Amino acid sequence: MHAVPSVMRRVTLAAVCAIALAPLSPSQAQQPTEVRLTYSKGQFQPSEVNAPADKPVTIRVKNLDAKAMEFESKSLRVEKVVAANSEGVINVRALKPGRYEFYDDFNEKARGALTVQ
Amino acid sequence: MRARIQPGRCHSLVLGAVGCLFWASGAARAEDASAWRDIETKYIFGFTTGSGIGLEGEKEFTVDSFGRFGKRDGHYAATETKYEFEFTPNQFIQIEFGALGSTHNIGGVTDLDDRSQVALSGAFAEFRYLAIERTSSNPLAVTLAVEPTVRRIDETSGERVWNFELETVINADLELVKNRLFAGFNLLYEPEVTQNAIGYTQREAKFGGSAALSLRIAPNVVVGGEVWYLRHYDNAGLSAFTGDAVLLGPTLYIQFTPKMFMTAAWNTQVWGREVDNPVSLNLSEFQRNRVKLKFAYEF
Repeated sequence: MHAVPSVMRRVTLAAVCAIALAPLSPSQAQQPTEVRLTYSKGQFQPSEVNAPADKPVTIRVKNLDAKAMEFESKSLRVEKVVAANSEGVINVRALKPGRYEFYDDFNEKARGALTVQ
Repeated sequence: MRARIQPGRCHSLVLGAVGCLFWASGAARAEDASAWRDIETKYIFGFTTGSGIGLEGEKEFTVDSFGRFGKRDGHYAATETKYEFEFTPNQFIQIEFGALGSTHNIGGVTDLDDRSQVALSGAFAEFRYLAIERTSSNPLAVTLAVEPTVRRIDETSGERVWNFELETVINADLELVKNRLFAGFNLLYEPEVTQNAIGYTQREAKFGGSAALSLRIAPNVVVGGEVWYLRHYDNAGLSAFTGDAVLLGPTLYIQFTPKMFMTAAWNTQVWGREVDNPVSLNLSEFQRNRVKLKFAYEF
C-alpha cells in the first residue's frame, strides 16, 4: 500500500497532541465565579452582570417561563437549552477582560451582557 | 516563463468587486449594527475560512460542494461534495468528519481521459483549535486547522487512485468595524501523495494564502470579495516549483434562520504561470473557475 510521508505523520501527531492537551490549561482548575440569572417574561434579570478576569465562570440560568429558552453567546462560545421552569448550568472558560453579550436564541428581544474586568 | 496578466479583465473584476462593496456599505450604513447579534466568522469569507469554531455543545450537518471548471482545451467540470458532521466539544476545539462525493465531466482535455462519472470518492476529518480568541478589546482571532483526507477518486482526473492529503491552515480574521466589517486571512500548506492504478506514485503540495473582506449589510446577509495566491510543487518539501496562480472573486453568506445558513463563492483565475510553458494562466494545476456552495443546519 502507501507510505504517508513522515513529515505528514509528524504534523498530524503534533496537531492531535496540541488539541488533546488544549483543554488542560491551568486556569480551568481554578474555582469558578458563579453568576446567577433568571429568565422571566422573555427577559434576563439582571441583564448586565460582572465577573473577574482570568477565572472560569459558572452561569446558572433559572427559566421561570412556561416555555423553553436557549441561552446562547457567540463570544462566550456556549449554548444551552433550558427547559420551562428549570435551571441550566453553563461552564465558561477563564475570560479575558471585555464585554460578552448573550441572548435567548428563541427570542430576538431577550439580551444581556457579562462584563469581565 | 511568466504568463501575461490580462489587465482589462482583472481590473474590471476588481473595480466591480470594490463597487459592489461601496454600494453595499452605503445600504448597510442606514442600519444600526450595534443592535445586531455577534456573527460566527467561519463561513463569511467564501473559500477563505474564518476563525470561528462554533459554540460548545453545538452540532451541525453541512453539505459543502466545490466545483472546478475550465482547462486549457476541451470541456472540464469536476465537483467534490463534503457530507459533513461537525461539533464543538469544548470552547477551544471543533471537530468535523464526513464522506466525499465527486462528479467528473471531462472531454477533449490534454493529458486527461474523457470521463463522465459520479462516485463516492473518500472521507475526511478536520481538527480546529482556537489559538487566539477575539474579545471586545482584541479584534484578532486565529485558529489552527488540520484536515487529513483519503480519496479513492482523483480530484482532478477522476481516475481511481489512492490519495492521502493533509491540509494545514492558519485561519485568521479581524473585526474592523464592530458587527459590520471583517477581514479574513488564510495561510495554507497542503502536501499529498497519490498512487494510481498501475502503481505510479506522485508527491505534490500546494502552498499559498488568501485575503478577504466581508461586509455585513443586514443582520443575516454578508457580502464580500477574496483573493487567493496558490503555488504548486511536485514534492512535499516545496523545492520542486511547477507553477502558481491568482484567483479572485465575490462571496456571499446568508443566515436563513438562527439554525440554518448558506455560503457561496466564485473565484476566477486572473493570473497564472506554468514553469517551462509560456502560456497565459496556469490551467494544468489549477482551474479557470471554482465555485463553492454550502448549506448548513445546526442542531
